[in-house]
Amino acid sequence: MTDASGSTADKSVQVKLVLLGEAAVGKSSVVLRFVSNEFQANKEPTIGAAFLTQKCRLEDRVLRYEIWDTAGQERFHSLAPMYYRNAQAAVVVYDVTKASSLEKAKTWVKELQRQANPNIVIALAGNKVDLVQPSPSSSSPTSTEAEDEADDATATPGEAAAGGEPESLRQVPREEAEAYAQEAGLLFFETSAKTGEGIVEIFTEIAKKIPIDQIMASSRGGAGRASAAGGRGGTAGQDGNVNLQENAAKGKDACNC
Amino acid sequence: MATISTQLRNFKEPTREQLNLLFFALPPEVEHYGRENGAGELEKIEVGAILSLGVQGVEEAYTGRLHLIPPYLTFASLDRKSVKFTVPLSTIRRVERLNAKAGVYALSLSLWHGMKIVVQITSLRPTADLFCSLLRDALKVELQLGQMKAVKTFVQTCYSEILISNASAEADEKNGREPSTSKIEALPASDQNSPYLGGLGLKFKFPGDARKLREASKTKLWTAYLKAHGRNLTLIRYPQCTRLVQVGLPNRLRGEMWETLSGSMYLRFTNPGLYEKILEENKGRTSTSTEEIEKDLHRSLPEYSAYQSEDGIGALRRVLQAYSFKNPETGYCQAMNILAAAILIYMSEEQAFWLLEVICDRLLPGYYSPSMHGTLLDQRVFESLVHRCLPILHDYFTSVDVQLSVASLPWFLSLFINSMPMVFAFRIIDCFICMGPKVLFQVGLGKSMMFHSTILKINGEQLLQIQDDGGFIHLMRDYFSSLGDSAHPESPDPRARAITRFQELLLVSFREFAVITDDTIQGERRKFRGEVVHSIESFSKRAAIRNLKTLERFSKDQAGLIYDALFKAICIEPPPETMMPTPALLTTKDWQEERPETRVGLKTFKVFLSEIATWARVEKIVSNGFQQRVEREVAEHELIDRLFYFWDTGYNGALSFQDLVSGLDGVMFNDLMENIEWFFNLHDKNKDGYLTKDEVLTLSESLLFIFRFEIGDAYLGAVSRFMSNAFEYGDALLPRPEGAEEYATPQIESNVPYMNLATFRMVVLADEILESFFEADFTGTFKLEPVPMMDIPSHNGLLGDLWTSLTSDDNKKIFNRFTDGVGRAVGKHQIFHRPAIGKFTALEEPKARESLLTPTMRRSASKASLKSGDSDSAPPASASAPANLNVPASEEAVTPAAFSPMPTMFEAAANAAAAFMERTPFAIDDAKDEDEESDEESEGLEDDVMDEVDAFLEAHDSGLTAAEQEAAQDLINAEPVK
Repeated sequence: MTDASGSTADKSVQVKLVLLGEAAVGKSSVVLRFVSNEFQANKEPTIGAAFLTQKCRLEDRVLRYEIWDTAGQERFHSLAPMYYRNAQAAVVVYDVTKASSLEKAKTWVKELQRQANPNIVIALAGNKVDLVQPSPSSSSPTSTEAEDEADDATATPGEAAAGGEPESLRQVPREEAEAYAQEAGLLFFETSAKTGEGIVEIFTEIAKKIPIDQIMASSRGGAGRASAAGGRGGTAGQDGNVNLQENAAKGKDACNC
Repeated sequence: MATISTQLRNFKEPTREQLNLLFFALPPEVEHYGRENGAGELEKIEVGAILSLGVQGVEEAYTGRLHLIPPYLTFASLDRKSVKFTVPLSTIRRVERLNAKAGVYALSLSLWHGMKIVVQITSLRPTADLFCSLLRDALKVELQLGQMKAVKTFVQTCYSEILISNASAEADEKNGREPSTSKIEALPASDQNSPYLGGLGLKFKFPGDARKLREASKTKLWTAYLKAHGRNLTLIRYPQCTRLVQVGLPNRLRGEMWETLSGSMYLRFTNPGLYEKILEENKGRTSTSTEEIEKDLHRSLPEYSAYQSEDGIGALRRVLQAYSFKNPETGYCQAMNILAAAILIYMSEEQAFWLLEVICDRLLPGYYSPSMHGTLLDQRVFESLVHRCLPILHDYFTSVDVQLSVASLPWFLSLFINSMPMVFAFRIIDCFICMGPKVLFQVGLGKSMMFHSTILKINGEQLLQIQDDGGFIHLMRDYFSSLGDSAHPESPDPRARAITRFQELLLVSFREFAVITDDTIQGERRKFRGEVVHSIESFSKRAAIRNLKTLERFSKDQAGLIYDALFKAICIEPPPETMMPTPALLTTKDWQEERPETRVGLKTFKVFLSEIATWARVEKIVSNGFQQRVEREVAEHELIDRLFYFWDTGYNGALSFQDLVSGLDGVMFNDLMENIEWFFNLHDKNKDGYLTKDEVLTLSESLLFIFRFEIGDAYLGAVSRFMSNAFEYGDALLPRPEGAEEYATPQIESNVPYMNLATFRMVVLADEILESFFEADFTGTFKLEPVPMMDIPSHNGLLGDLWTSLTSDDNKKIFNRFTDGVGRAVGKHQIFHRPAIGKFTALEEPKARESLLTPTMRRSASKASLKSGDSDSAPPASASAPANLNVPASEEAVTPAAFSPMPTMFEAAANAAAAFMERTPFAIDDAKDEDEESDEESEGLEDDVMDEVDAFLEAHDSGLTAAEQEAAQDLINAEPVK
């Protein structure tokens, strides 16, 4: 693990990314899915913030996401500026089955736009879409799966009855959130950390939108990163093929320190 | 959309008394014990004493202070750490005066568990006698309250009783062949109905390998200790107790020892059944806290098997909910779930509930509060300690711009539970509960240091490569997960290899950082409190302004000034607690409740308005020849109440920050016509577009109220003209019944619609003074000025305390009263009221504009034409018109005198006054200085004496002389006095 910050740093561009959103919308799960392609039903709440990294290949360059996964409870709000200072990207997460979580997401966006780095790339992610999709395409839901879901404390109450009309659980219409994202100039995704839907896309699209050259030019004093500035300019990735570096061990690192 | 809390500002440094209670792990309520029970005030007393255990040779005698703090008796050795005990008086079975050598005053106390302690009182005889009589009184009260009987049932809930009775039973049987510990382990497990309380661990197994943790030998050691030194309610802490805690508590005993050491046991003892009662009374109730708790129940130590079943989840839910119901202000904070889940492994729900209370309220104050100020403060303290103790590391962090707190904050908040393997975290909690919050800092520093040296050992360049918070966190995390590894894997000595990194960490923490004491931390907290409070407050201010739905026409800075005024008002007049919806309302899912919003009532509003509107305050300029000062008071008038309800557009009976911003917007940007209309609407209660006659009168009163301190009769004249004109034209314009006589005044009731806006406007514009008032002066009475904030309490050591106590409000009042008295005596005492508008400085009386009242003007009351009439009136008074006080406004004023800013008139008087003031302030300053000095001096002297006494006692601390030691031992065998 110790090499994480060391030897490889000089080849990649570091991007500081922060996750914000109401408690229990699945911020940590989104990160966990992205970083180690895992899903844990009962994830401990984040205290303060958790830190994870993941590399991401976009065309000919490697981005190294330094992800700050913050605590969602309202009273941890005052700590957030500590984590979003200098962040180049932010993912604001809400829960599609909980209307109030979109309101909270909006206040986060407002705060980021006023207080954070002016060039910050913000993505809005409506998580837990698996709860509102008709039925899993793979196979009919088995009873064990249903129990799994009932155990999932982070899900909205009443979810156990999801089998019948899943779409009724949805409290935030896709169109509404999308329109808001458009208006506020955000990237928009609907995701499911449980199934993995839409997760990688968030980070890919952010990677495309980030002014990488600027970051490299103003690299924070790291001699290693300055050398990486030799890369070609232009950020438009037509293909946007992101190659996640398989790094299963990283998941174990995801503790709350 | 925000809450405004002044809690931080109202923080008061704990008094000595409170610190003492904290030291003895006593609940703060003890301070008022007796009064609540109707037993009358029970006096506290403190005496010097030498404590010896009533068994020969078990422990040395220690000298220290014995405190009677009804209903407890406490003792601490002079170094405040070697020996200490806190026992409820109800556990004292017998007190005997010992028959000893002349001049020795000794008592023998028999405690519940059959042990005897001997205290030799070293204070003077009268003090010792007083102590004994107070002790007797306090014991009687306990007997009357039946507390003595309660002890018996209470101790049965403690595991230590089983432990001791088993051990002694074995000893009786002399059945020494069977290993004693295995029986102890086996017994409670077989007997699920045993009355003692225990945690989830009994059913779901305790974390860690019992053999590896050396449970058996730990239990044996503790059994021996508890037998000789008392247990649960009567535990006496000798140095060995702390040492035993440091090597880790045995699993079964852990919960009970936490209770005893933290003092939560006294809460459980004195509040039997309260936990169940709270749950019962709040059954089915939901709140923001309960919702947040539900979200986290399955996310608390999920890997521990109990928390995968309803047993564990239910217990966790009940404990967290009960806490949130009992402490609605704190409610629930993430991290508390982890803490509660951890302690529930070792203790029952009721025990955990009380321990949680002690941890959140006393050991980690403010950590889990909505502002988390305690956490932020301690992080600041921690950084400062790192700076002090590990300067190289600190400089390094600074140079790469890494914030240490990003890593250390979760350590403190969750007591290391999720940042290191659980078995180790519990050992840190053992020490934390036994030795206090300093442990967290010591371990944190130890970690930083070990981490530092480990990293340097592994790879000297590693640390230098960390250039951001992330890399730092990575390294920290790797280090923590390896705590179970051997610290010296390469060592040839197997015993050295057996030493884990964790053991090394504890050793380093407690040895290297022994200098960090509770006092250090208290001092550091004092030092940084102001800074932290300020940053929290400015953060919530920014958030409150950002969360406004609309800034209206104000700039952000102006909104900030409004916020400041509101904040100050809340400081002075806190909104009532009962702003919380009633429980019945809480059960409905109300999103409003999720983001609570501070709303202020009428009382707070008055203070707020007095900050902003000059007419909403009474500003007295008092001069007594020595000094001149401005005294501000909040004005009372129906107009202010009216404005409050006028701005309460949502009919909440209370105003939010947004309401105030919108309300002020409605009046502060008005021109002439808008002001007139606004004023009209303000008084048009039913909003039908007409004022009744009564309302016209009220409106006149409002005007008179605003003008009450203006100089001269100009405004008074204007208002009376307004009234006569209002009724004249009001009557003239009334729709007349058909065929009525031309000049007959129709009778109209005082409460029916009478005057519309157009008429009102006309009447106002008929008067030059009123016109200019509505044109600009009225708007000018609303001023957004930086609010002089009260100081954030910050004390720097003794001198700071002394200074603040000298400059306290009360002292200022006394000083003012004194100078007033002197001033009155020399005929220099004067009070002036500063006018709200302060436009007319002389007695000139502008004439009313009779000409405007021509019928033609009446019809074409166009704004433009009226504007022209304004040219001759004075330009709008500047924002802060100097108070030119040439007319005494108070009956107390005897002679006309001048004040700063001095008008050129009355120069002679001014010179006289100046001459006078030149001399007198000097005299006063002198007097004040003298005061200070003498105070300081006496304080200093006292301190010196105390130091000397302390030094003297310190020297004899480690024990007494051999002779004294012997005498103390003799006492053990002494006979009671007949």
